[in-house]
Amino acid sequence: MTPALQAPPRPPAERRTNGRLPPAPPDFGDDGDGEGEHGPRRGLDNLRLAVLFFMGAEAMFFGALISALLVLRLGMAAWPPPLEPRLPIAVTGLNTLVLLASSVTLVTAGRARRRGEPARHVRWLWGTAALGALFLAVQGYEWIRLIGFGLTLASGVYGTTFFALIGLHGLHVLAALVWLLVTTALVARGRFGEGRSAPVQACAMFWHFVVGVWPVLYFTVYLI
Amino acid sequence: MSAHAATAHTAHTAHEHHETGFVRTYIFSTDHKMIARQFLFLGLFMMILGGLLALIVRWQLAWPETAIPGMGRILRETGGILEPSTYNMAFTMHATIMIFFVIMPILAGAFGNFCIPLMIGARDMAFPFLNMLSFWTTFTAGLIMLSGFFVEGGHAAAGWTSYAPLSAVAQYTGVNWGQNLWCISLFVMGVGSMMGSINYITTIVNMRAPGMHLFRMPLVVWSLFITAILLLLALPVLTSAVAMLLFDRTLGTSWFAPSGGGEPLLWQHLFWYFGHPEVYILILPAMGIASEILPVFARKPIFGYHAMAFSMIAIAFLSWVVYGHHMFVSGMSPALGMAFTVTTMIIAVPSAIKTFNWLGTLWGGRIQFTVPMLNAIAFVSMFVIGGLSGIFMASTPVDIYIQDTYFIVAHIHYVVFGGSIFGAFAAIYYWFPKMFGRMTNGVLGHLHFWGTFIFFNATFFPMHIIGVGGQMRRIYNPMQYEFLQHQQHWNVFITYSALLLGVSQIPFVINFFWSLFAGPKAPLNPWNANTLEWTAPSPPPHLNWGDRIPTVYRGPYEYSDPDAREDFLPQNQPPVGAGARRH
Amino acid sequence: MLDWWLPENVSTYGREIDWLFHLIYAITGVTFILVAAALIAFLIMYRDRPGRRARYTHGNTTLEIVWTIVPALILVVLTALSAPAWSKIKMSMPPSDVVVEVTAKQFNWQVKYPNSDQVFLDEMHVPVNKVVHVHLKSQDVIHSFFVPQFRMKQDAVPGREIKQWFEVVKPGKYEWPCAELCGFGHSGMRGWIYVHSPEDYKKWAAENLTAKAKAAETAKPADAAKPADTKPGGKAKK
Ligand code: HEA
Ligand code: HEA
Ligand code: CUA
Ligand SMILES: [Cu+2]
Repeated sequence: MTPALQAPPRPPAERRTNGRLPPAPPDFGDDGDGEGEHGPRRGLDNLRLAVLFFMGAEAMFFGALISALLVLRLGMAAWPPPLEPRLPIAVTGLNTLVLLASSVTLVTAGRARRRGEPARHVRWLWGTAALGALFLAVQGYEWIRLIGFGLTLASGVYGTTFFALIGLHGLHVLAALVWLLVTTALVARGRFGEGRSAPVQACAMFWHFVVGVWPVLYFTVYLI
Repeated sequence: MSAHAATAHTAHTAHEHHETGFVRTYIFSTDHKMIARQFLFLGLFMMILGGLLALIVRWQLAWPETAIPGMGRILRETGGILEPSTYNMAFTMHATIMIFFVIMPILAGAFGNFCIPLMIGARDMAFPFLNMLSFWTTFTAGLIMLSGFFVEGGHAAAGWTSYAPLSAVAQYTGVNWGQNLWCISLFVMGVGSMMGSINYITTIVNMRAPGMHLFRMPLVVWSLFITAILLLLALPVLTSAVAMLLFDRTLGTSWFAPSGGGEPLLWQHLFWYFGHPEVYILILPAMGIASEILPVFARKPIFGYHAMAFSMIAIAFLSWVVYGHHMFVSGMSPALGMAFTVTTMIIAVPSAIKTFNWLGTLWGGRIQFTVPMLNAIAFVSMFVIGGLSGIFMASTPVDIYIQDTYFIVAHIHYVVFGGSIFGAFAAIYYWFPKMFGRMTNGVLGHLHFWGTFIFFNATFFPMHIIGVGGQMRRIYNPMQYEFLQHQQHWNVFITYSALLLGVSQIPFVINFFWSLFAGPKAPLNPWNANTLEWTAPSPPPHLNWGDRIPTVYRGPYEYSDPDAREDFLPQNQPPVGAGARRH
Repeated sequence: MLDWWLPENVSTYGREIDWLFHLIYAITGVTFILVAAALIAFLIMYRDRPGRRARYTHGNTTLEIVWTIVPALILVVLTALSAPAWSKIKMSMPPSDVVVEVTAKQFNWQVKYPNSDQVFLDEMHVPVNKVVHVHLKSQDVIHSFFVPQFRMKQDAVPGREIKQWFEVVKPGKYEWPCAELCGFGHSGMRGWIYVHSPEDYKKWAAENLTAKAKAAETAKPADAAKPADTKPGGKAKK
């Protein structure tokens, strides 16, 4: 608040690296613990690190949901409970492939970026987003059918767990999709160029996470 | 190095270097120190509410069903007499507020924000905007929580643990929107604390000053680091559990209500899987604070620095595998209960290590009885009592008898008040000069400390006795039970003490606000401490050290080094001969 | 005062619980005294005095090892001593021919015996010196079967039946509160357990348990709404 010390001027855009520090000055201290490491200066930048931790929290979130499902299932005599509609295993299986494919396209996009082919980069990003949207559309269609068959959130444990787990994952895909679309639009406008790609990579990390959670859910909710 | 490092470091806050207005400085500030102050005020305000709720509870227990002074206006229909449902609401909200909106905002929110950047030598958090968002999310959660008092049917009344199905079906308590708001508020709070913890961890991993190795970090930073990790991983479990509970209540899902095939014990598993790490979230920062303050005022290096850090890590790991000790008689498989006894006993070992190292720190020191020091010593001794009472419960057969009695209530308060709150007081007195640039008043401080210490023990120690006598917790009127009537005098005694404990907080309130505006100006380093925050101006300006961040040459506890001229050796003071090479 | 405020114990396994309680009492008591004595001694001996310089030491590995191992050993022993009592109380059921079915509800204990339709509200009759099996259920929320003098506690969880046992060694009338928050009437949800001598119990059973049909009229009204004042035998609020 004291204006005595003012923030230094903003550096030119290409020198900004998300708060990462330049190489460390030589280290003179000696606290006798023989530690040779320079802490702050290695590894990921802030943004990707934060997304990594966010993924940790999300993993716990889904972990809680999945264990809740398993606990409830173990308490039931028959699963799925009799008289409940069957889940569309085959269609969703194909849809799983769609989502997994989106991860592949995203990796391809990343490779294009690293090779310095911005146009291809953007194209593959759009492709990824399209696959994600397709996944959501198919999911939504299947949901409407299931609701038509009488499976709802309120129709007992089966509906509860199905819609909660799959629905919350769907929300995550939606959020990741919005993030991806914004990022792609910015990339298309040349926002994240050489050496400034951390935001793109952070977005990609989250996308891979959302994709990675899906097979687990597919397995626990649909298959077993 | 400096110019380059500085620009990279602060690029994201640079847009602020023009004059900032009132709103940007005091309300929507992205400065970690202002956010810390906001968290502190939020926590202290909520503490008054939570404390007054506790006094309502106490009044009812000592003089059941008599009008509570001052409550006549609020409880109009009964003329100030508490009804059973209101009583349940009172202790539920007492605990919810104290845990989620007092201790977490003060210890993790305020001191996390204040200490981390200043003590590792960063100009701000890694994500200042996210930091601001985290505060306002928590604030919103607080508002939602408070709004529950005004809805029809009253606020949540199923205990802070909100066991399903009592909490899952509105008819069972008669509470409708109160419990929903409770869920929503904790959901929002969970999101807010996730933002905070991501920020803390990233900052500590990536933004330490040159030379600040992990094992040169002050222990309070270690404790906040570990707390943040626990927060990051534990809160999402609560978040998903309260979402399920909310769905059960509003959308008709059946997670927890057996009528639709749900499983009541599932809630307990989820809640305690979060809940036990949560209690260590409450205590770890206080442990860090004590480890920080004891060496400063014993003028002596902390005893066993590495043991201290590793025992906290051990606590964090073990805290995930002991949660079942809350469920010994819940109907969970007794074989599991046995397993949880083993882990619960083991988790006492790192706490033992910490306790003995604190004693070791005092041994051979030159102890100065300042107000922060007194509070830190109180923390150590009260935490030991609270921890030792935990051993009774860890032994499954004994827990059969004392579970859900006042013995547990005594345990709770010895660890959270005797532990966390004394830790918070110690921290407030210790960092007040740096936080607000003014010294607090010593006389009022001593008055506050001794009043609190004496009446704290007078309030909570007898709870062990009535608990062993069999008094259940969460009961509205102990006089309804014949086997409890003979110890009612204790309840009266406890209530008098609690009232005096409340009165003892008045010097604190006066001291706090008086010093805020009229206290003597604080010097740079009033306690002759080593850590980096004392090298920044009091209060530190935006960006803390400006364009030159300090370089660290040694660990944080080099007090009374015989080779040094003075009895302290700041972390950033270059060793002889090294300075020339540096600049 | 030698029982350290514990109410009188009247059950068989209560003795083991009390013994463990006293053992832990001793262990923690001694620990506390040692820690507190050291703390106070240090505070006095090493208080700031002119000319004093603090000892410059960063720790001591031997000490560190000792104060890790010793508490760990104590705790391991304590765990080992707790295990048998726990498995006796909760993990095994001695055979018995006295079975009582207890269904908790807001805010009463409903007690039934096999071979009888009679539902007793907030009272249970059992013989002394006999293992009694309790089949515990709940019809709404979680309650907790707590008999302080039996040292017995077990939550009643809706949707499942939990089997417990106890054996009382002294006839009498024992208070039987609910220990888990179960709603506004939690406080005051309380019954009585009458432990009879064998002859008395036979007499009571003959009078009350065989009559399958007349259950309905003698049972007390099933939905006593007000928690506090409708308890039989309970001392009403003052
Ligand atoms: C800050 C919070 C905090 C902390 C740190 C602790 C610490 C511990 N707690 Fe506590 N606990 C709570 C907060 C906390 N607890 C709360 C809020 C509840 C109630 C929740 C509810 O139901 O509402 C609870 C309930 C609770 C229960 C459930 C009781 C029940 O409902 O039946 C149990 C059971 O095992 C338990 C055990 C322990 C143990 C073993 C420790 C250990 O970590 C303590 C370790 C410390 C020491 C042991 C002291 C120092 C050591 C020495 C001096 C060394 C020598 C010691 C020996 C040789 C014994 N706690
Ligand atoms: C986390 C922290 C925390 C803190 C700090 C406290 C503080 C206090 N608690 Fe609380 N308590 C819990 C956590 C906490 N508690 C929990 C988790 C439970 C379990 C709930 C459950 O069962 O679900 C519980 C339950 C609980 C019960 C049991 C209720 C029951 O089971 O029926 C009781 C009863 O005496 C009680 C009392 C008190 C008292 C007297 C204080 C006092 O220390 C409060 C003193 C503070 C003040 C009085 C405020 C200060 C006031 C001012 C600064 C303003 C001064 C102005 C005026 C007086 C006008 N608490
Ligand atoms: Cu039933 Cu409390
Ligand atoms: Cu615990």
